[in-house]
Amino acid sequence: MIKLRQNGGWICSLSPRLPNHQIVFTCLLGMILLVTACTAAPPSRFDQAQQDSTSRGATSVVKESQAGGSFNRYFPEAGSGYQKVYSQEKKGFAEAKLKQDGKEVALMAISDTLNNPSAVNKFKNSTETIAGYPAVNQGKTATAILVGNRFQVKVLSRDPSFTASDREAWLAKFDLNGLSQLK
Amino acid sequence: MSKPIFELVDNLPTNNMTVMMLKSLDFVIPGQWNNLVGFENTIREVTAETDQEMIQQIGDRAIWLYNDKSQGYQKAMWLYQTVDSADSALGTAALANKVGNKIPLVGGLLTKVTPNPDKAQALDLCIKLVVELVAFCQINGIPGDSIGDFVTSLADYSGESLMRMAALICVDGLIPLGPDFILKAQSTLNNTSPKELGSNSTFKQVQELIPGNNTNSQLSFIGESFDSVKGWMSNFVEDRNLTPNAIFGKFQGFLEFSENKLDYVAAFLDMTTNYYEHTGTQTLARRLIERAVAEI
Repeated sequence: MIKLRQNGGWICSLSPRLPNHQIVFTCLLGMILLVTACTAAPPSRFDQAQQDSTSRGATSVVKESQAGGSFNRYFPEAGSGYQKVYSQEKKGFAEAKLKQDGKEVALMAISDTLNNPSAVNKFKNSTETIAGYPAVNQGKTATAILVGNRFQVKVLSRDPSFTASDREAWLAKFDLNGLSQLK
Repeated sequence: MSKPIFELVDNLPTNNMTVMMLKSLDFVIPGQWNNLVGFENTIREVTAETDQEMIQQIGDRAIWLYNDKSQGYQKAMWLYQTVDSADSALGTAALANKVGNKIPLVGGLLTKVTPNPDKAQALDLCIKLVVELVAFCQINGIPGDSIGDFVTSLADYSGESLMRMAALICVDGLIPLGPDFILKAQSTLNNTSPKELGSNSTFKQVQELIPGNNTNSQLSFIGESFDSVKGWMSNFVEDRNLTPNAIFGKFQGFLEFSENKLDYVAAFLDMTTNYYEHTGTQTLARRLIERAVAEI
């Protein structure tokens, strides 16, 4: 047996009966594979999303979705120690931070589920309602309602002092009926 | 094709020149910046979610949003990457020369570094500021020339975004230009012709995304932006009693340099760090994840 040791401890074992050119070829092939394996990024749980979202015609936002700016008027008023600071406004999406005495305690958002239709699924088995709209708790920090079967209104805690019942209370403060009329 | 956002966040360094420099600036905004790296880590930190299915959904949606060019996130990333002109080889060489915990700024390292003339440095400061404004507008979805909205939101800057501004003021303002860096920058802008701006290397790299139809109107936009932000910058400096000496003192925690080489410190850091790209990647990841978790 011939043992060849490469830098980094890679060992290939070959039978002495192989002709020289075949040994060279086998080792070269091994090195190419090794180099390729070392330069490629390790597989990630997000590879599929990366591949799908960069395929031809992929889009995260559809043109039929509402302009983010059209959502602003339905957000609740702040006041009594709270401040509302708008943070993102993109097609089909608007988001504001809710601060209490300058500290961020929650995020409030309205999104058009035309851009992410699977978001509606979680409401199908919902037995709870807030202000008459189907509601779900999602994960540890979010409560969401579905308005007009299309617009998702969500409040997310950003501080432990802001509880699930605070989220419910703030969700009910949105102009939900106004939003349900938005076409 | 640009790199996937999750790779960019996963590959953020945990200990290089940029990170050492930013850590040394902690005294400016104590506790505001921790070097958050890794895409999944960022999801957990931003959303406090631990459920694997939720993390997957949030990450997937964030990736879709980033890869949709119409959403502006990639333009912002390009701006943050392009305005930094770090020479990574020099950074690596500097780290290799470390003695104990410090990099001695002597000999071979210095021969590769040339301090910028004041005028070029002042223009760099102004252009970087405008890059922040334009990137902010791209990320937040407001028109690209919304100077007023940007100035209002500076009051709300925190975490890595505030660290980026702190580093801009310290490393591209106070250190190379001195305590009156705001006046110097303004007078430089007033004495710069569109032609001179057009030949500035930093400007040339990002010119296509600076609002304005030609170099003349871009120069006006840069001037107007600087004028609107100078009050915020001067308050930032005054509130914290920031001086070049105080900053040099903190830099001595990781760099070793003599009094007569102060000029070289700014140039060396300029060449070996990419703090706009580093913290800009962190800002983008945060905004994408905040939107993704609200949309899923």
